[in-house]
Amino acid sequence: MVNSKAKYVEVELEKYSLKPFDRFKRVMKRTFKGELFVGLGIVFREMVRFNIHTTQYPGEKLPISPRYRAIHELLRLLESGNERCIGCGLCEKICISKCIRMDTHLGEDGRKHISEYTINFGRCIFCGYCAEVCPELAIVHGPRYENSSEQRAHFGLKEDMLTPIDVFKKGAQKEYPGFGAPSPDADKRIKKTPLAY
Amino acid sequence: MFEAVAFYLFGALTIAMFLIVVSTKNILYSMSALAAGMIFISAFFFLLDAEFLGVVQIVVYTGAVMALYAFGMMFFDSTRDVKENIENPRAVFVLSGMIALLLVLMLGAPIVGANIEASQPTPENMGNAQAVGVVLFTKYLIPFEVAALMLLVAMIAGIILAGKKMDHSLTLMNEEDSNICDREYKKNKKEEQS
Amino acid sequence: MSAYIIETIIKVVVVMLVFSALAGFITYLERKVLAFMQRRLGPMYVGPYGLLQVLADGIKLFTKEDIVPSNANRPIFMIAPVISAATAFIAMAAIPFFPEFDLFGHTVRPIISDINVGLLFVLSVGAIGMYGPLLAGMSSGNKWSLLGAARATVQLLSFEVVSGLAILAPLMVIGSLSLIDINNYQHGGIFDWLVWTQPVAFLLFIIAGYAELNRTPFDLLEHEAEVVAGFATEYSGMRWGMFFIGEYANMITLAFLSALIFFGGFNDLWFIPGGIAILLKVMFFIFLFLWVRAAWPHIRPDQLMWLCWKVLMPIALVNILITGIVVMI
Repeated sequence: MVNSKAKYVEVELEKYSLKPFDRFKRVMKRTFKGELFVGLGIVFREMVRFNIHTTQYPGEKLPISPRYRAIHELLRLLESGNERCIGCGLCEKICISKCIRMDTHLGEDGRKHISEYTINFGRCIFCGYCAEVCPELAIVHGPRYENSSEQRAHFGLKEDMLTPIDVFKKGAQKEYPGFGAPSPDADKRIKKTPLAY
Repeated sequence: MFEAVAFYLFGALTIAMFLIVVSTKNILYSMSALAAGMIFISAFFFLLDAEFLGVVQIVVYTGAVMALYAFGMMFFDSTRDVKENIENPRAVFVLSGMIALLLVLMLGAPIVGANIEASQPTPENMGNAQAVGVVLFTKYLIPFEVAALMLLVAMIAGIILAGKKMDHSLTLMNEEDSNICDREYKKNKKEEQS
Repeated sequence: MSAYIIETIIKVVVVMLVFSALAGFITYLERKVLAFMQRRLGPMYVGPYGLLQVLADGIKLFTKEDIVPSNANRPIFMIAPVISAATAFIAMAAIPFFPEFDLFGHTVRPIISDINVGLLFVLSVGAIGMYGPLLAGMSSGNKWSLLGAARATVQLLSFEVVSGLAILAPLMVIGSLSLIDINNYQHGGIFDWLVWTQPVAFLLFIIAGYAELNRTPFDLLEHEAEVVAGFATEYSGMRWGMFFIGEYANMITLAFLSALIFFGGFNDLWFIPGGIAILLKVMFFIFLFLWVRAAWPHIRPDQLMWLCWKVLMPIALVNILITGIVVMI
């Protein structure tokens, strides 16, 4: 909203005189006014206080927001430990840089199984659409932003992204609170559908 | 022994440097060689125990050649060779060589005949700088002052030539005043139109 | 005679080794001090507290490819950094670093060559050092380098007058150009220091010295925000490193000069022996270089010329005049 009553206030600048003597006086004033030495004092004070603000990165890391969108993770179902992904292909369809690719087959148990799931991180722009569109909250963005490696294909395969089964058994799979996940108060906001009456 | 070695070394270096100065076509080579030659000359003063003159040689010629570099920077492309218009290089070479030889003979003749003696021997218990000062302010006072006066005249002339419009700032002028500065340009334009 | 020669050669080698190592160490100090003043930590990973960073930088500089641009003037381009580094060390030849001391029953004078005009020699060789940036800039075939070279000219023509005239006044008081004489003149404790009688000359000298070393606030030659890296734009590897060593060696020279001329040199100070006293003073001056770099902005070339020719030079002349009158009375 623009405040219509606000007016521009002109800063009153000292008029510079162009006479040589006045300019000389100006230089002297600026030189000996002490402002230069105030500057010296400030940096010296900061040095003595030793109030360092550096994060020594590989040793210390700053906490990142839960909504941070880094390398993807595939999660497992909480009860059974099966993969959450049902192979619906929505993420493959919505991906705007066309970097997700999946192959599915009909398993012997009569269910759809994902035989291959890859994300090309050379092309991924980390927009977060895949996590948002996923109906099962199976593909999410993890907090892992250090993605340098010798191989381009690292992190991009299903085995790399899927929560390992031993980690899962320890109960160490973290539920994703970020992009596309239900909000903390989702239970309260659920309304009964007409079918339930 | 060291003096002899140093003398021949610096003699050869100085001659080589000044040869480069006159023979090269690249402005950068010739000026760098000039500066180096001037500095090598100071070595002779050091060898003769005239440290003050040696140091003054260095101080004066670094500044002087530096000013030459400034002109070189403005007038020439330092990455290219300068094209010289010498119609008859051989004649120039022979003539200048002859003149140089004649000069050396004329100036060197009295030295060959007589033993060299210092006309102003350095007084005992006196440093180099003091000795130069004493000579400068007693025997050579008038030439010294005249030289100073000449330099002053040259400086004033230079300031007047260069500083005609120095107290006007083009950026702070208003439109009409700034046009005064290119009055000549306008005059030329009018003449072209008419 | 031969003992003298051997002694001189040993001194030369010691000065070369110590000061090129110190020049490297000052780069580490500079990074640390600047970092602390800006609330950073500076180099931390190579060695304890990053102490071996200097070594790592040295290895990097030595093993880098030596590139000469195709448009450059090859011989001049290759010689320029050598001038810069060599003059910095040549200037040290006439500086008495410490008082005389006895080593294995042999009196050592820690000065390589005690010439009568030591001070002038140091100043003039320092001025030749400006040929390094100038030639580097002119031979690189790069417009930023050329601008850097033009600024080097401007800087030399401005500061040389001021430093020469500023140093004249204390010289008139002392009556000698030898740095040892200048030092001995101030032997009578802290109140004999020339800075009390010649404060103006000291200020002018230090300002001109900053311009000579092209340190902030006069770092026009390679100011990144204006001329990329100035004269050093096309340099890489050890050739660039030589400019660096030259600059830091010159810093040490200027710190020693200021301490010797104005702050009592290597005379004993209260209970502190002379050798340690001068080291403390030199350390303070080097810290001042870094401190000023952290705090102050830099000025334009035209402002530098204006300052040197129209403000500092008249002040220096007036200072000489007043000193002359006082000395005559």
